[in-house]
Amino acid sequence: MGRFFYWKLAADNIRKNSRVYVPYILTSISTVMMYYLIHSLSGNTGLSKMSGGTTVQSMLSFGSTIVGLFSAIFLLYTNSFLIKRRKKEFGLFNVLGMEKKHIARIMMYETIYITIISIFSGLLGGILLSKAMFLLLLKLLRFEVQMGFEISGPSILSTLILFGAIFFLTLLGNLRQIHLAKPIELLKGGQVGEREPKTKWLLTLFGLASIGAGYYLALTTESPIAALSLFFVAVIFVMMGTYSLFASGSITLLKLMRKNKGYYYRPNHFTTVAGLIYRMKRNAVGLANICILSTMVLVTLSTTVSLYIGVEDVLRTRYPREITISSYRITDEYIAELHRGVAEVLRNHGVAADNTLEYRSLVFLGEEQASEFLTDRAFITGFAERLQALTFIPGEDYSRLQGETIHLADDEVLIYSEGGDYEYETLTLLGQTFIVKGKLSEFVGASLHTGYLTGNHYVIVKDMSVLGELYEAQAVFHGEYGSELTHYLGFDLPKDRDAVSIHQDILLSLPGGDPSSHVESAEAAKDEFYSLYGGLFFLGLFLGTLFIMGTVLIIYYKQITEGYEDKERFEIMQKVGMSREEVKKSIRSQVLTVFFLPLVTAAIHIAAAFRFITRLLTIFNLRNTALFAWCTVGTFLVFALFYAFVYAITARVYYRIVSR
Amino acid sequence: MHILEVKNVKKVYTTRFGGNHVQALSDVSFGVEKGEYVAIMGESGSGKTTLLNILAALDKPTAGEVLLNGRSIVSIPQREIAAFRRDNLGFVFQDFNLLDTFSIRDNIFLPLVLANTDLQEMERRLKPVACRLGIEPILSKYPYEVSGGEKQRTAIARALIIEPQLVLADEPTGALDSRSTDSLLRLFREINGEGQTILMVTHSTKAASFARRVLFIKDGEIFHQLYKGSSSEEEMYQKIADTLTMIATGGGRRG
Repeated sequence: MGRFFYWKLAADNIRKNSRVYVPYILTSISTVMMYYLIHSLSGNTGLSKMSGGTTVQSMLSFGSTIVGLFSAIFLLYTNSFLIKRRKKEFGLFNVLGMEKKHIARIMMYETIYITIISIFSGLLGGILLSKAMFLLLLKLLRFEVQMGFEISGPSILSTLILFGAIFFLTLLGNLRQIHLAKPIELLKGGQVGEREPKTKWLLTLFGLASIGAGYYLALTTESPIAALSLFFVAVIFVMMGTYSLFASGSITLLKLMRKNKGYYYRPNHFTTVAGLIYRMKRNAVGLANICILSTMVLVTLSTTVSLYIGVEDVLRTRYPREITISSYRITDEYIAELHRGVAEVLRNHGVAADNTLEYRSLVFLGEEQASEFLTDRAFITGFAERLQALTFIPGEDYSRLQGETIHLADDEVLIYSEGGDYEYETLTLLGQTFIVKGKLSEFVGASLHTGYLTGNHYVIVKDMSVLGELYEAQAVFHGEYGSELTHYLGFDLPKDRDAVSIHQDILLSLPGGDPSSHVESAEAAKDEFYSLYGGLFFLGLFLGTLFIMGTVLIIYYKQITEGYEDKERFEIMQKVGMSREEVKKSIRSQVLTVFFLPLVTAAIHIAAAFRFITRLLTIFNLRNTALFAWCTVGTFLVFALFYAFVYAITARVYYRIVSR
Repeated sequence: MHILEVKNVKKVYTTRFGGNHVQALSDVSFGVEKGEYVAIMGESGSGKTTLLNILAALDKPTAGEVLLNGRSIVSIPQREIAAFRRDNLGFVFQDFNLLDTFSIRDNIFLPLVLANTDLQEMERRLKPVACRLGIEPILSKYPYEVSGGEKQRTAIARALIIEPQLVLADEPTGALDSRSTDSLLRLFREINGEGQTILMVTHSTKAASFARRVLFIKDGEIFHQLYKGSSSEEEMYQKIADTLTMIATGGGRRG
């Protein structure tokens, strides 16, 4: 026996098992490629030199960790499937006189082949694609395109180490399987008699309760802050629920269907229901995995897409005016000087301010307790839901803004509320009680503080002197954490003007370069937003692709395994008088159910999470629910299309196996 | 009256890449009377499985005619064959061919469900059959929970419940121990005694000795036949054994 015998045998084995090995190798190549791509981008020198580039890079390096982790999971999963399929083959080798060490040797050579092919092709593909990816990223980030080509040494090394380790792990797993197995078991391979799954009412109820809890959180949480803290709780509830419902709920349901004799003993339902009971037992975890992965893909893609598309909206929310100047010194002299400076800058640029918004205010947070707002930290219970931002505006500024004169007594206020009405007749805080004289249906200065995640009440008080008293009172209460009286000036500029340089000039014009004012420009912030949301979008696309690949992989192998197991069953059915068409029909309805159950469940999850995610998106200043809805629907349709495509391919392979 | 008539059936297999022709059946003709119990014996490769497949409408002969109740099963269109099979033929296989996803009861119901039979009708038919075969206590169990003999009786129940014209049995005792074999053969004899026509393919002398008539097939032809007449199983066994010896040693045709 020559030295090359084992090498040749190993190569033959891979070739002969191409139906299961080709997808595995393709996955390996793709994961290697993706890992190299994201890793090299995260260390790209061109990117690090750009403004905002480092933010993107830290996002990407987080992404590369995730890609690495999921690559390992997918490859180990796929490998475990492969080895199960091939047990019989190894059993045969064993019976033919090969010792386990010989089989181990073959297996090692196989792994070496696969490792070399995957890492080499993956790296090659990664290096070739890296420029295209870089350009795509720059386009998304709206960065300027750079020339040059970069091959990242550290990334190649990192890829080699990571995937070398993953393939080594797969080899260890396989050797362990072979070592543990006895020849006769190897020959029998996967075909061990299966018991009918038991109905697990408890688990079903637990699953329902768990999903219910998750959905309840998702549907009832109002405040974004609460949403942020509850998001992962809800996710875990829904995940637990999904796993237990797939495992037990499906079987419970099918068994109920079987109990209904009038339904069960019909040609269309009979074989399907009975087949599904077993199928679900074997596939529950796999299907739940697919469902969770699909949901992840959909959430990741729809949110990042809508954030990216919605950048303009986000900017408008975050910056209600093109230029905004907030000053914490509100003396008349200071304000007058500020106005002079701004006017001069605008004159120099030959533009006029438009849509001007100017008022003084005092903003602080309070916890709503019926008609009273607690502002003392000691009393605040920490229910994020109840925290409200209170914006006090003097009557004279309100009158000027709205162009109408109002008359309020010292203890009278008008209220305009964002996010829920104010229901009470009085308003008590800091030991004072105000009578709510009226509730406003609109206020031009509103949406100024939408950057806050809480509800928001604009409270119009009589005049500056009342505001001054409030200021004093809260300053005593909060000490160094107290809020400052703020003068706010915001205005838009004509579209075609260079807002960024105007912003720069205004900054320079500030009285004495004073840090008491804070100048923001939507245009200047745009780049930053694009680099942040563009980076997120890129990461979403990248991870989305990875997760889709994982989903496809699980589905494909699931179908093949099923195919081999179902083959015998359908042969028997044909013998006892089922026609080919009936067999096909039964297969189709079973496969369709198993296939599309995760997708439908994912859709339901997404629908339930929709409101929740819109709340979360407000943290990112995206309030355009319609946009998010369209993005979600769009992503879902694309994903479903993709899913159906994968179904068509795997179903074909499946029929071929079953009908051969 | 013949319930089954096989006329000059010939079957030639062509190997996948053309070229070689293998003649599995050269010219087979025989008839089965209503209520008969016929065994077809032959060694491996004699063509008996091919013959059974043709009788079961699973395969088509190259030439010749097969009539069941006067109707040609060779000319039944493909889409009606499954229905024809489950309405007229009951099958009993060597390896039982029960589905492990179904309980014993549902395995028996399978052909009826496929024929879209009314639930009450199915229950009505199940009772006597299950009682007859002594499988009433295990109806709710699953195939992997019962013995080989019980599995085979389930398969027989599945064959009988459709009230078939003809029961086709392919080595029904092949996978059973000797005790189960004995009880199964007695069962077949009793069922036949009640009027059920049975055609069995086997190479077990013992199994064949229970039949009323034994056809011997060799190299694709009916070589010889034996009638049991009034002889006992033991005498029949001896006759069959003699015939087999003669076939094996290449003796001439005998009447």
